[in-house]
Amino acid sequence: MTFAVTLGLDTLSFMLALLLVTLGLVVIFGLMNVINMAHGEFFLIGAYCVVLIQKIGLSYWWALLLAPIVLIAVGLIVEELVIRHIYRRFIDSILATWGISLVLKQLIVIVFGATAQSVDSPIPGPVEILGVTYPAYRLFIMGVAIALSSAMFLLFYRTPIGLAVRGVIANRAMAASLGINTRRLDRATFAIGAGIAGVAGAVMAPIMSVDPQMGVGFLIPAFLSILVGGSGTLLGALTGTAVISSTSVLVSDVWTQVVAQVVVFTLSILVIRFFPRGITGRRS
Amino acid sequence: MVTVGSWTLLGISSLVLDDWNLAQLAQYMAYGIFAMGLAFIWGQAGLLSFGQAIFFGIGGYSVGLVALGHLPLLGSSTMCGFLLALLLPGCVSYALGRILFLGKGLSGAYFAIVTLCAAVVVETLAQQWSFIGGFNGLLGIPPLGAPWRTAVDGYLTPVEDYLFMLAVAVLVFLGLLGVVRSPIGTVLAAIRDNDQRTAFFGYDVSRFKVWAFVVSAVISGLAGGLFVTQFGFVAPSLIGFGLSTEVLIWVAVGGRNVLMAAFLGALLVRSVEGALSDRLGNFWLLALGVLFVVTVVLMPNGLFGRILALPPPRRFRDTRTAIKLKRGTKV
Repeated sequence: MTFAVTLGLDTLSFMLALLLVTLGLVVIFGLMNVINMAHGEFFLIGAYCVVLIQKIGLSYWWALLLAPIVLIAVGLIVEELVIRHIYRRFIDSILATWGISLVLKQLIVIVFGATAQSVDSPIPGPVEILGVTYPAYRLFIMGVAIALSSAMFLLFYRTPIGLAVRGVIANRAMAASLGINTRRLDRATFAIGAGIAGVAGAVMAPIMSVDPQMGVGFLIPAFLSILVGGSGTLLGALTGTAVISSTSVLVSDVWTQVVAQVVVFTLSILVIRFFPRGITGRRS
Repeated sequence: MVTVGSWTLLGISSLVLDDWNLAQLAQYMAYGIFAMGLAFIWGQAGLLSFGQAIFFGIGGYSVGLVALGHLPLLGSSTMCGFLLALLLPGCVSYALGRILFLGKGLSGAYFAIVTLCAAVVVETLAQQWSFIGGFNGLLGIPPLGAPWRTAVDGYLTPVEDYLFMLAVAVLVFLGLLGVVRSPIGTVLAAIRDNDQRTAFFGYDVSRFKVWAFVVSAVISGLAGGLFVTQFGFVAPSLIGFGLSTEVLIWVAVGGRNVLMAAFLGALLVRSVEGALSDRLGNFWLLALGVLFVVTVVLMPNGLFGRILALPPPRRFRDTRTAIKLKRGTKV
């Protein structure tokens, strides 16, 4: 029983953190048709914001403020310098954003060094929940993730801005001719997606080893979630992250992390092969 | 003209450069062959593969395992190793290609991401599998032998070795060029530009994709095998995600649409890296990343793509053929 509860909590916390990265990716992909390989590095920079704050000697909570600000700025710069030139060149967008990810990662290595940094947990100590002791900070992560993703869902489905975004995803030319400023919408979406990935990075930093390679470690599962769940909708992203994270946590608890990685990747490749529109998508 | 000139220049450099530089350049040749394999599938057939190093690594491991005598059934001849280095990537890519392309099939980005995942999985497996050396890889793989020399260490001298690599590179180049300029190459280009329309013309698009994938995998396997004989050891880093993406950079920087440009791109990036990476340290990768982004955004043909582009095949230049085609007569 306790094993099941721990497993459930582990899955939930991994899934929610993954969801934060995936949501940004899904909206950018749906809206601009850009596969953003640099999204993992946005997550990475968010985590290094925490390292920076800790080095300065400020309290951890400032990092949660700093990370979105830094990342929104980074997102705007990247969008302005690179992304807007390659909107209509799909394959090139993969390459260019991957180049950006290299550059950002290397900048981090130059500034902070290539070795792993450790970050102190701001809420040390466990709590008792459903008969198991569980780290309190992980519950905090879940809270943040739930709050942020609910806010995203509300923004997407219940506000005029969300309606505009969904309109552009459905038919860009039509939306533009109805007077929606698609250019501004693209820029804002990219920046917000980057900002959320940054918050995710900052929140996850205390429970991960912060090193320049951690971005890829989150990027690939996030992509798989989108492909498995079905691209284009937030619901697909939700399903996909649930499938990916539960499989990965389950297998790595029973066997090892390496086996989990192999199993998850192989399964995803099969799912993508047989359900090209994802498991939530309608079959063509 | 420029293409022939470049090859001649590479040939002449065997007389000019010292042994150490020649050995380096011979290593880069292997990377160059690898780059041509990728340029073939990416530039010609439009399939962006993020997992090309899987085949490079399989080729490398095949040659390494056979040379060290780990596969007793096959003996330890270099010939056998290379045969395996061609056969194994071919079979793996055929299976993978059939799974991915036949039936509904995957397109564009999905193929890129699936191959990326496959590269990560294969690298992880290679690190765990102790038979092929695990994390450490296989050490002490002998260089290419010279059977006509009876001395105890009958290996090729650096100049001979370099010329051998150059010859293989030229052969691979001519072979791939032949395919690219043949009608098959035209079909592949059509698939790249619009695969639906090509399918409507009655071509079996997925079969062409599978075979293009196999050809490029076999070339990559050959390159991997050659590289290992130059480098002397094979490690999981040769089979994984890192090298797969590096080769993408070389090809993008050189020019993805032209085989020769991709080859020179690999040579250029590796040479500059060899010369500068000690001095620049971490800033080298930064500069490379920036260069990569700039070429992708501003120069889709790469640095050499435009200079080295060859005129279209003769059958497109001959107006009489075009007229006959228009009338529907058999050519």
